Amino acid sequence: MSESIGLLHADKRSPADAMRLFGGPALRAALAVALLGLPLVVAPSWLFTLGICFANSLGVLSVSMLVRYGGEVSIGHSVFAAAGAYTVAILEVRFGVPLWISLPLAVAVGALLGMAFAWPSRRLSGIYLAVTTMALALALPEIINAADAWTGGYEGLYVAQALLPAAPMGLQRYYVALLLLFAGVYALARLRESRQGMALLLARSHPAAADAFGTRRTWARLSAMAISAGIAGAAGASMAYASATVSPSGFTLWTAIFLLVGSVVSVYGLTLGRALLGGAFLTLVPQMLASSGAWIPIFYGCALLAVILVGHYAPKLRSLVERRGRGRSAP
Amino acid sequence: MTAPTLTASGLHLSFGGIRVLHDLDLEFRPGEITGLIGPNGAGKTSLFNCLTGAYRPEKGAILLGDRPLRGLPPAARAAHGIVRSFQTVALCPDLTVVENVMMGLARNHHAGWLDAFLPLPRGRRERAAMRTAATAALAEFGLVDAADRFPAQLPPGNQRLVEIARAIVGRPTVLLLDEPAAGLNDAETRDLTRVLQRLATPDLVMVVVEHDMDLVMGICDRIYVLNFGEFVACGTPAEVRTDPDVVRIYLGSDDD
Amino acid sequence: MTQPSAVAVLLSDLFPLVWSGLITGCLYALGAMGLVMIFKCSKVVNFSHGNVAGLAAFLVYGLSSGVLLQLSWGMAVGVTLVAIVAVAVLTYALIAPLVFASDLTATIATLGIGLIAQGVTLLVFGADIVALDLPVPPFRATVLGLRITGYDLTVLAVALVTIGALFFVIDHTKLGIAFRAMSDNPFAAEVCGLSLKAVHIFAWTVAAVLGVVGALLIVPTTFLSVTTVAVFMLQAFAAAVVGGFTSLPGALIGGVLIGVLMNLFTYYVSPEYSSTFLLCIILVALNIFPNGVLAAAGGGSRV
Repeated sequence: MSESIGLLHADKRSPADAMRLFGGPALRAALAVALLGLPLVVAPSWLFTLGICFANSLGVLSVSMLVRYGGEVSIGHSVFAAAGAYTVAILEVRFGVPLWISLPLAVAVGALLGMAFAWPSRRLSGIYLAVTTMALALALPEIINAADAWTGGYEGLYVAQALLPAAPMGLQRYYVALLLLFAGVYALARLRESRQGMALLLARSHPAAADAFGTRRTWARLSAMAISAGIAGAAGASMAYASATVSPSGFTLWTAIFLLVGSVVSVYGLTLGRALLGGAFLTLVPQMLASSGAWIPIFYGCALLAVILVGHYAPKLRSLVERRGRGRSAP
Repeated sequence: MTAPTLTASGLHLSFGGIRVLHDLDLEFRPGEITGLIGPNGAGKTSLFNCLTGAYRPEKGAILLGDRPLRGLPPAARAAHGIVRSFQTVALCPDLTVVENVMMGLARNHHAGWLDAFLPLPRGRRERAAMRTAATAALAEFGLVDAADRFPAQLPPGNQRLVEIARAIVGRPTVLLLDEPAAGLNDAETRDLTRVLQRLATPDLVMVVVEHDMDLVMGICDRIYVLNFGEFVACGTPAEVRTDPDVVRIYLGSDDD
Repeated sequence: MTQPSAVAVLLSDLFPLVWSGLITGCLYALGAMGLVMIFKCSKVVNFSHGNVAGLAAFLVYGLSSGVLLQLSWGMAVGVTLVAIVAVAVLTYALIAPLVFASDLTATIATLGIGLIAQGVTLLVFGADIVALDLPVPPFRATVLGLRITGYDLTVLAVALVTIGALFFVIDHTKLGIAFRAMSDNPFAAEVCGLSLKAVHIFAWTVAAVLGVVGALLIVPTTFLSVTTVAVFMLQAFAAAVVGGFTSLPGALIGGVLIGVLMNLFTYYVSPEYSSTFLLCIILVALNIFPNGVLAAAGGGSRV
C-alpha cells in the first residue's frame, strides 16, 4: 500500500477540466456579487448563520484541497481550524491584537501544525495520515482544557473586536467570513496554475514521474498538508470571528468528520459554488434537524454514501445510456 | 560543448535474493543513440531505475562524467540532467497536455510560494516562459493543436509523444527512453524516429529500450543486449545482428 | 536493593497494573486484528468498526434487558452476532464496487457507515449511560500478591480461544491461505480458486465478530454509552498502527503494549490526558518503527 492510495475515481473518469468548473466565469462573478449584496435584502439573524456558513465553506475547501492535491484524507482538520481560531481569540483577548494581524499568524500556525503532523507519516501511505489526524482530533479537547489559563477551558473565549470601528458588528462578521472565503478560492485557483500546484498534481497521480522530474515525494506530501492546514487555520479564524466565540465543543472529532462529509458532498470541488454547497450542508442540516439530534449523523452518513455511490455509478450509467441511445439511432 | 559520458561499473542489483542485475559495466556516450535490448524480464527497466536513482544497487559505481551518482536521490539526479520516460504513460490526468510538458522544466524554475498564490509578475513570467518552451517541444511532434486538451482526450500514441516531449523539454544531458514506440502506429513511429535522430546531438546521452527491432537497428549507433541481468553482447547494429549469442536469445526462445 | 520497601511498593503497584493492562490489551488486540484483517486484503481502513461494535454492545443490552426484548444473555449475544455479521456483509456489499476502484473512496465510505451506526444507536437507545453486566463467574483469587478475578480469566480465555481459532483458520483452511496470499498479491486468491470477494467477505465477517467480542468484554470495565466503544476502538487503531497495520501478530503485540502503557500512564501520570498520550504513542511508533514493532524487531510479519 505504499504507492497505491487510489486516485479518486471522480478524476479518473472525468479528466476534463473538473477543477475549474461550476459555471463559467460570468456565473461565478454573478454569485460573488450576489453574496456581496445579500446583506441589503436579508434579515440580520440570517447574516449570522451565513457568516458561519462561509467559514464552514472555507473549512470544507481545506479538506477538499488535501484530497485533490495530496490524494489523502484527514479526519483531523478540526485541529488546524482550532489552531487558527485560538490564535485569533487568544491574541485578541490577551494582547488586543486586531484580526488583520492575527489572521496571517493563524494561517501560519495552521500550516506549521499541518507540517508537523504530516512529518511522521511522510513516507507512509495515506491511511496513516488519516489515523494520526483522527487521534489528534480526539486529543484536542483535552489539550485545550489543559491550557485553560490561555484558552478559557470549556467556556472558551469571546471574540468581539471590530475591524472597522464604525461599522455594525453583524455586517463585519458577515463580510470578514465572505472575503476570507473569496481569498481561499482565489488562492487555490492561482495554485492550480502555478508550477508548485502542477507539481503536486503530478506527484499525486504519478509519484515516480514527479520524482524523475525533480519533485520529491516528501516535499509534495508536506506541501499539500501545509497548504491545506493553512487554509483550515484561516477557516478557524473565520469561524472564530463569524461566530464570536471559540470553545472546545466547536472543534471535536465530529467537527473534523463533518468537514470531510461536507467535502465529499461538494465532490471535493475547489470552486466558490462547490465550497458553498459543502458549507451550507454543514450549517443548515444541523439547524433543520436541531430537534432530533440523532438524525444528524444518520443523515450525514446517508448523504456521504449517496454522493460516493452516485459518483461511482453515474459515469457507468451515462455511458450505458449513451450506448443505448447510439444503438437506437443506428439503422 | 559536449555532454559527459554516463558510465557504470560492477553494477549489482537483487530483490529478496533474486538476482536482477549482475556485474554490469557500461558506457553510454554523448552524441550517440544507444540501444538497450533483451527479452522481457532481462532487467532493462531495472537498469534504468538504477541509473535514475529509483532503485539502489547493492554494488557498483555510476558516474556522469567524473561525478559519482550512486546514493543520490532521483530528484538530485534530475537536477544533473538525467531524465526518463516511462514504460506505461505517466502523464497527470488533471493537467493539460502543455502543462504536463511544462513539468519537464520544473527543476529549472524557482518562483516562490507567494508567486503560487498571488498574481505576482515573477510567477507569471515563469509560467509564460515554461509555456513557450513546452509549446516549442510539442511543435517538434506536431502536437501544438493538442496543447490545451487533456491527455485522456489524445490517442495513446500521442500520449507517448507528449511524454517524450516532457522528457526533452528541459534539455537534459542524459535521456533514458523506456519503450518509446510501444503503442505507436507506423506514422507515429516514423515521427518519433525523426525526432530522436534530430535530438542526437553531441550534448546528449540518449539510451533507448525498445522492442521494435527495425527502430532500434535503424537509429542506434551502439546496442547493448541484456539477458538475465547480464550483457551478452555490445556493438554496432551490424555486429549485434550477427552475434551468435544474440541470435540464439532472440530466435531460440519464444520471447518476442 | 538499597531501599527494599520502595521497590516492594513499586512492584506491588506495578504487577497489578501490568496484569490488568494485559487483560484490556487482549481486547484492544481483538479490535485491532479486525482492522488489520480488513486492511490487509482490501486496503480499506474500516472507520465504522468502533461504531458498529458499539451498536452491537447496545443490541445485547437491549435484547437482554427488556428495552427491546427479554431474551436470555446467550440468546441475545447470538442474535446480535447474526445481526452484526449481516451488517458487515451488507456494508461490504455496499462499498465493494468502490474497493476495486479506489481504496481511499472506500475508506471514506466506511466513515459514512460509522455515522449511520452512531445515529441509529443514539436514535434507539438514547445518549444515556446504561449498565451491561456479563455473566462472568464470580471468582476471585490471589496469586503472588496479584488479585485475579473471574472477569480477567474470562477475557483471557475468550481472547486466547478467539485468536487461536483465527490463526488456525488462517493457517489451515483454503480461505485462510488465500487471505494470507492476497496481501502480497491481490490476484493470488484467484489462483486458489476463490474469488477476491469471497476472501473480502471472510475478512469483513471475522472482523465484525472480533469487534463484537471485544466490545462486549470491554464494557464491564467501564459503563456503556454511545462513546464507550468508539473510544475503545481508538485504542485498537493505535494498536494496529503500533503493529504496522498489516500484521496480525503485530496487532496482538500492539494491543497488549497499548493496554499496559495506557494503564501505567493513567495510574502514574494522569487519567485526563489519555487521548493525548495515545496520540503520542502513535506519532512515536510511526517515527521509530513505521512498519510495525515486529518488522523493527526483525521478525517480519508472517500472517
